[in-house]
Amino acid sequence: MKKFNENAFFIRDFLKTKQKILKGLFWERRLFWAKILIVFSFVILWLRFFHLQVIKYSYYLKKAKERSVVSYIIRAPRGEIITSDGVVVATNRAVFQLYLDPELIKDKEDEILYRLSRILGEEIGSLKERYYLAKKTSLGRVLIKRNLSWDEVAKIMVRRYYLPGVKVEVESERFYPYGEIYFHLLGYISKITLEEYKNLKEKGYSIEDYIGRMGIERAYENILKGKNGVIEIERDAYGRLGKVINRIPPTPGEDLLITVNHNLQVKAYELLKDKKGAIIALSPQDGSILAMVSTPSIDPQKFIDGFTEEEWERINSSPDKPFLNRALQAYPPGSTYKIITAIAALKAGIINSVNNSVFCPGYFKLGSHVFRCWETKGHGTVNFIKAIAYSCDVYFYTLASKLDIDYLAEVSKEWGLGKTTGLGWSEEKEGFVPDRAWKEKTFKESWYQGETVVMGIGQGYLLVTPLQMARIYMAIANGGYLYKPYIVKKIKSLNGNTIDIDPHIEKKLNLDPQHLEWIREGLSEVVKIGTGRAAFVPGVNVAGKTGTAQVVSLALKKIKSLEHHAWFVSYAGMSSPQIVSAILLEHGGHGGSAAAPLARELYKTYFGIKESKSTIPEVNEQDLTNEN
Amino acid sequence: MKTNNIREIFRENFWGLFVVFILAILGVVNQWIIAETASIFWKNLFWHLAGLICLIFISLLLDYRKIPFNIVWYSYLILIFILFILFFFKKRWINFGFISFQPSEFIKPILVLLISLVASKEPNPYLKLKTLAKLFLITFIPLILILPTDLDYAFIMGIMFISFLIFIGIPRKILLFLFLVGLIVILLVFPIIWEKLKPYQKGRIYGYLNPEKYAQTWGYQLNQSLIAIGSGGIWGQGIKGGWSTRLHYLPAKYTDLAFAVWAETWGFIGVSLVLFLYGYLLCFCIKISSTAKDWLGKYLSLGVGLVLFWQALFNLGGCSGILPMTSIPFPFLSYGGSITISLYFLLSLMFNVAFKRYFFK
Repeated sequence: MKKFNENAFFIRDFLKTKQKILKGLFWERRLFWAKILIVFSFVILWLRFFHLQVIKYSYYLKKAKERSVVSYIIRAPRGEIITSDGVVVATNRAVFQLYLDPELIKDKEDEILYRLSRILGEEIGSLKERYYLAKKTSLGRVLIKRNLSWDEVAKIMVRRYYLPGVKVEVESERFYPYGEIYFHLLGYISKITLEEYKNLKEKGYSIEDYIGRMGIERAYENILKGKNGVIEIERDAYGRLGKVINRIPPTPGEDLLITVNHNLQVKAYELLKDKKGAIIALSPQDGSILAMVSTPSIDPQKFIDGFTEEEWERINSSPDKPFLNRALQAYPPGSTYKIITAIAALKAGIINSVNNSVFCPGYFKLGSHVFRCWETKGHGTVNFIKAIAYSCDVYFYTLASKLDIDYLAEVSKEWGLGKTTGLGWSEEKEGFVPDRAWKEKTFKESWYQGETVVMGIGQGYLLVTPLQMARIYMAIANGGYLYKPYIVKKIKSLNGNTIDIDPHIEKKLNLDPQHLEWIREGLSEVVKIGTGRAAFVPGVNVAGKTGTAQVVSLALKKIKSLEHHAWFVSYAGMSSPQIVSAILLEHGGHGGSAAAPLARELYKTYFGIKESKSTIPEVNEQDLTNEN
Repeated sequence: MKTNNIREIFRENFWGLFVVFILAILGVVNQWIIAETASIFWKNLFWHLAGLICLIFISLLLDYRKIPFNIVWYSYLILIFILFILFFFKKRWINFGFISFQPSEFIKPILVLLISLVASKEPNPYLKLKTLAKLFLITFIPLILILPTDLDYAFIMGIMFISFLIFIGIPRKILLFLFLVGLIVILLVFPIIWEKLKPYQKGRIYGYLNPEKYAQTWGYQLNQSLIAIGSGGIWGQGIKGGWSTRLHYLPAKYTDLAFAVWAETWGFIGVSLVLFLYGYLLCFCIKISSTAKDWLGKYLSLGVGLVLFWQALFNLGGCSGILPMTSIPFPFLSYGGSITISLYFLLSLMFNVAFKRYFFK
């Protein structure tokens, strides 16, 4: 810097120096602002990166994963279902599935689809339609064709080079070896709907999953389902797949050991095949279900293999309603209900001896109203045993006329009517037991004693399911133990552990042993000499009750679809009862002639009796057709 | 005495040099992480080494006070000439076959030098109108020439050098006047320019305003950049482990989005490190500017600091979504011969000033 001396001090120099000093000061101030600008900007940038990388880290990681990782679900094989005699009735089989990855064929979809249509011999139009529809609903790959034949697999594999994005994969698929026989018992599975998927996503369901729709498949969905596995593969910006970054193997569902007896189930289906009805067989020892068949039936395999449009139309709009499990639907019970009337009368002390007799002239009069016995000639004098054996309506009209409806309803409910049996299947109906309060509420009318009389023979408002009926007879057979229906006895997981499930007694009914003895005697007389003779099996003690439930008035009887429902509920055993069954034929005609013979066949199979025709006592058809 | 001086010089400037070396190493590492072929890595290494050698030689051997004005002026004219030819052919690059370079990168060092030389002759705290007009002319001619081929770079360089001139000293009245004129011109010209913008340029604006909506189109680059940065988290996805980098989701990962690769690989820790080092380097420039012994030195080092600052701000702001995406490389981390050489040349000017602070002659 220049040194000042007094002589050289000029105003010019002073100004210059002042300028210089000012410039220096200004510069420092500007540099200060420059520094502020830099620091401020960098702090902002730093905060921005903090926001992106720390606060929104999981958001962007998710986005990065969605973008660069494809996950393929490996469906867990469903658990198998095995009957008590070791027959696998629901299993899995390996099938070849054809998948297309839309990401890989982005701009040549039509070309690839065309080639595929040539190989598979399918129409290009339908294939395209299927592809674009599936593409919309599924994430990632699209299932083009399932269950490829070996031939198709070979053709595709050979041309793999010309078919980018096409993949053939082996997957396990549900297989029902016995088709229609087990439809209502096992239920079926079908593709999860979008709505269900939204609700069940959390539970590990994928959009490609199947879900149980009925019967055991639905009731035990959680156990049978297993846990899906997943393979996560990196995918680059050009759609090329890279290395596998995560592989979780699926956990197969657990196997169920069910109480069903396969032979009995097959036989029951055979018996009902061309009819409309249900057979349910229980074991009186523990309430286990030995067979449960409902017809008409559907092959559950079709829900996986696919129906043709025509088949689907037929099933869906069929007046026979094949989806219904008739063993769990509610029907008027007809004469099979007379047992409850009898029990109520016994409990109420209306009858105190077997020999309490009633004279049956063929009709019963209450006030001015006449109630007819099915035997128009009348049964003459009948005691308790005979009344059950011949199913004498007048006898039970008489008992019912002395009973209060609320008391009868109470006894019915005590025996498990009017509510579900504890099976836990949502398709099960509750049935219906009317009482005074209900009538007043619904019809704004008081209860007439005449209605009690009608209910005494199982007609009127009363509705029961075959399962409920079978349970009542089970309790009679085993001395009053009302078991919950028992279907799954063991759950077998893959590591070999089995969980035993014990039968569950709902309640022990309070029943006088003397009364029980009388009822049992009456029921065996039904098969020996009464209306149920067609159920006679030599060497086996069969006891049961026929029932013919009127659907509409007599005038319309001729029309087939309005025929009576035929019932036969019974138990059988060599020494003590070993099996209980309820057979219902919807609009099947008379219990004695239509339902009871089925029971005989069923018991023959169960007890393994093969006898020549001659040993069966001749049953006069004419005799049985009019019975109630 | 001399050895003492050298030791002094070294001690005073150690951290500045150290930061430059570290950033150079980080740049080489970053390109190694990105590189799919070895050749890009080796080329990048070569440019950085060449740049560092050039930095050491120029900063030690040259003296900024003795830079002849004429040489700078002539190289400016040559640059204008080259740019004019490129303007004529609507090209951004000159391709020699084995090597291609981008002349627009050299506008920055030459303008910094030229503006500093011209302005340092001015004794007043504020520039005179005449000088100012001259400087504006000098600045805007090359920028207008690259405007059609490299709009965003021209725009950013405009900001760089106007801010430089403001710091050098534009009188307040003129500044206010310029501001108003600029505002009016922008308001008038903007619709015309908007019409003339290429679709991708408009798209960048759309993408900036709504990156999620245009995620697959205009916002693709920004969106991928945000995903890459965000998914790095605190600790990063590890070397060569980043999905965005490895699986080719990041466009322009060698150049414009090189920093996104860095952020994905090293996470917030790595980002903080680079921001800190770079910020330190900028503050070092300011410090040199404050302690330089003459105006040329003060101007030069501030000019270098501002160029580096704006370059980083627009790159980082662009890839993190707070500023519109521009095709500006990030110094050190991005690949490019021209930018690396121009970067080290700028730094060598600044370090030259830094070293010469202690020679009192």
